[in-house]
Amino acid sequence: MSTVDPTVPSVSEGYERTRPSGTVKLPALYASAGARAATSVAGGAASSASRKVLPALRNSPVGRVLPASLRSSGPEKVSGALELPRVAHVVDGLSADAEWHENFCRVVHASPRPMAPGAAEAAVFSGALHSLAFPVAMSVLTRKDFPLPVLGMVHLSNTVHHVTDVAVGERVTATAWTENLRSHRSGTMLDAVVTLTREDGTVAWAGRSTYLAKGVHTAIAGEQPRPEQDVAPERAPFEAPLPTGQWSLGAGTGRDYAAVSGDYNPIHLSDPSARALGMKGAIAHGMYTASRALALTGVPAEVPFTWSVEFATPVRLPATVAVAVDDDGRGAHWSTSRVQVWDPKRGRPHADLRVSAL
Amino acid sequence: MSENTQNANPKTPAAASAPAAGRHAAGATGTRPVVVAGNRIPFSRAGGPYANASNQDMLTAAIDGLVARTGIAGERLGAVAAGAVIKHSRDFNLTRESVLGSALDPATPAYDVQMACATGMETVSSISNKIRLGQIEAGIAGGVDSSSDAPIAVSEGLRRALLKLQRAKTTMQKLQAFKAVRPADLAPAVPSSGEPRTGLSMGEHQALTTQHWGITREAQDELAAASHNNLAAAYERGFFDDLVTPFKGLTKDNNMRPGSTVEKLGTLNPVFGKKLAGEATMTAGNSTPLTDGASAVLITSEQWAAEHSLTPLAEVVDSEAAAVDFVTGNEGLLMAPAYAVPRLLARHGLTLQDLDLVEIHEAFASTVLSIMKAWESPEFCKERLGLDAPLGSIDRSKLNVNGSSLATGHPFAATGGRLVASTAKELAARAKKEGKPQTALISVCAAGGQGVAMLLRSV
Repeated sequence: MSTVDPTVPSVSEGYERTRPSGTVKLPALYASAGARAATSVAGGAASSASRKVLPALRNSPVGRVLPASLRSSGPEKVSGALELPRVAHVVDGLSADAEWHENFCRVVHASPRPMAPGAAEAAVFSGALHSLAFPVAMSVLTRKDFPLPVLGMVHLSNTVHHVTDVAVGERVTATAWTENLRSHRSGTMLDAVVTLTREDGTVAWAGRSTYLAKGVHTAIAGEQPRPEQDVAPERAPFEAPLPTGQWSLGAGTGRDYAAVSGDYNPIHLSDPSARALGMKGAIAHGMYTASRALALTGVPAEVPFTWSVEFATPVRLPATVAVAVDDDGRGAHWSTSRVQVWDPKRGRPHADLRVSAL
Repeated sequence: MSENTQNANPKTPAAASAPAAGRHAAGATGTRPVVVAGNRIPFSRAGGPYANASNQDMLTAAIDGLVARTGIAGERLGAVAAGAVIKHSRDFNLTRESVLGSALDPATPAYDVQMACATGMETVSSISNKIRLGQIEAGIAGGVDSSSDAPIAVSEGLRRALLKLQRAKTTMQKLQAFKAVRPADLAPAVPSSGEPRTGLSMGEHQALTTQHWGITREAQDELAAASHNNLAAAYERGFFDDLVTPFKGLTKDNNMRPGSTVEKLGTLNPVFGKKLAGEATMTAGNSTPLTDGASAVLITSEQWAAEHSLTPLAEVVDSEAAAVDFVTGNEGLLMAPAYAVPRLLARHGLTLQDLDLVEIHEAFASTVLSIMKAWESPEFCKERLGLDAPLGSIDRSKLNVNGSSLATGHPFAATGGRLVASTAKELAARAKKEGKPQTALISVCAAGGQGVAMLLRSV
């Protein structure tokens, strides 16, 4: 895997910054979307989910208030060349509440580090910052001019630059936009980027989530058409490393993470609700797996770092998954970590997380 | 130095003016702590005759048996140290409560120790050190564990809700607290043998180490058979007559299988390491079962022993603890003794081959074999221990001569006391027979990647 670009993402030239009216709250976005299948759906099962749920939604009273991106169905709604809205949503005054943060850390087994050694204030766990920023990214993905169906998008990978810590209770500004629309052999990919800026104007944290809209093969504005015979690249078969641990994930794992992340996608909550969306059963949130893996690494306090995670097959709940943590050193000797999560019975990878010092 | 500390002990003003007799001759300072006697109840497989016995019942029985055998009823000892690995929070003063229920003077102070499976070793070390410093003259070290009478806790969700309820002042707040309880929270939480940081059971951790060192099924079964047969032979010749007191109808460890053979053990199916790529070799036969039991060891100064007409068996020379980073897979969970032992030996200018007896706790047969293989490995000894030459092999005829945990069972905190008492007795017997001082090494691995090693020497 390539190493992470150390450059922190920033809003491109020509993007308009707007402040969405009202507060950006996930429940409101979910209420309009009915269900959100945008994140954490590794393996592509959600496309069928969207095929099932969208017609139902459209025919219901909810359909009338659905954002444009959800109102019409997937590929067929797209006409002409695809283009992302050149808009960045800016939301001020976000902060991590102390009790919420403690609950989040408990659910993902993270021990929050202090802002500085001996400091009374706790730094917000990097995975929790993703949850803090996520509604702002969703507000862009559910804009009327966003060209792809949000329900059904697959979360392929996530890269975070954790430049400085943000204190619990500290107010930050979130800026979210989409970019890098590009074609993929099985659809169209794009990045949703969120940065968190401290009051002194420095970017403390930036997260880039790469999504795949499966089955969308429309031309992309400014991109050369891809050759017809686009085959999947040869992937090295997964070889399980020696485990250093295992997680016993109960059936309630998705509900527990939903309660702290606000991500109440039904595919994570229970088998019946997941089946209603075309899944075989409930699956763990990808970002739950990522946060738990990150919490296992020995990133020392005060060290800026990047982490990136690639999602392979989803974790069907309940599950016992094997984990291998590989830190290259401790404390001052630390510079990189890798955490692999896989299904030990079937020998299939779930997630691969890499962390390195910035 | 010892003059002053002895003076501080009001119980033995005479000791202050006593000559250097009873002091360690070879460099060590202070009063020599000696093992005088040991006692345990027979160890029982979980769910057996001790199913209804509490930790306190068993520890009290072990202490009372020791008190009766040594005739020290009503004595005020300097300290009693013991502990249990699996302990209910109401047993915060388990050892003190056991002392209060025992035949000892109720004015005997006591404290609890917890160092997982090395708890018993740590209590022996702690009591010995107090004697060496002159803080106390005599004390009991021990431990107890029950896997049958384990505490059961409420779930995390219910626990948090109940605590919130306790803090709530208004009816509204109380309702809020209860609102958070989910039906699944009503299921109780049973203690597990999993490592908190990795989620792997001890057996699964050891399975990784077993594969790393390439320990074969046959070698493990051989060690297990030897453990059962050595224990059976020791019972046969009456070795445990003054080391074990019957309890609840049990007179011998009921896990013992006399006549164990590699063939019989070879028929068992593997239980650990089944998900790993290589062959799974660890079975119920070459792993210790969950066990109930308790042990206690009387350690005193030589002078106290003489005053009470007791014969010292062996001196507790020194001990060393070690810990390893198993969380990241850098080292095996139960490999800490491989680090503790060479440090302890080096401090005393000893080699593995200088030892007359070696006791390596059989958490699993492959634990003992992995540790010994590491000491034979030039790479391990160079890269991990920083030694120019490997520590070398251990003569199997000196290893776990009277059987060990595979045969007796392993009530976590009680194992240290069992090992120290048996080894001290064996040392004394061998010294008498050989006519020269004998030295023994005891090593015990523990959860959390820890281990304690100890040297005993005949007196």
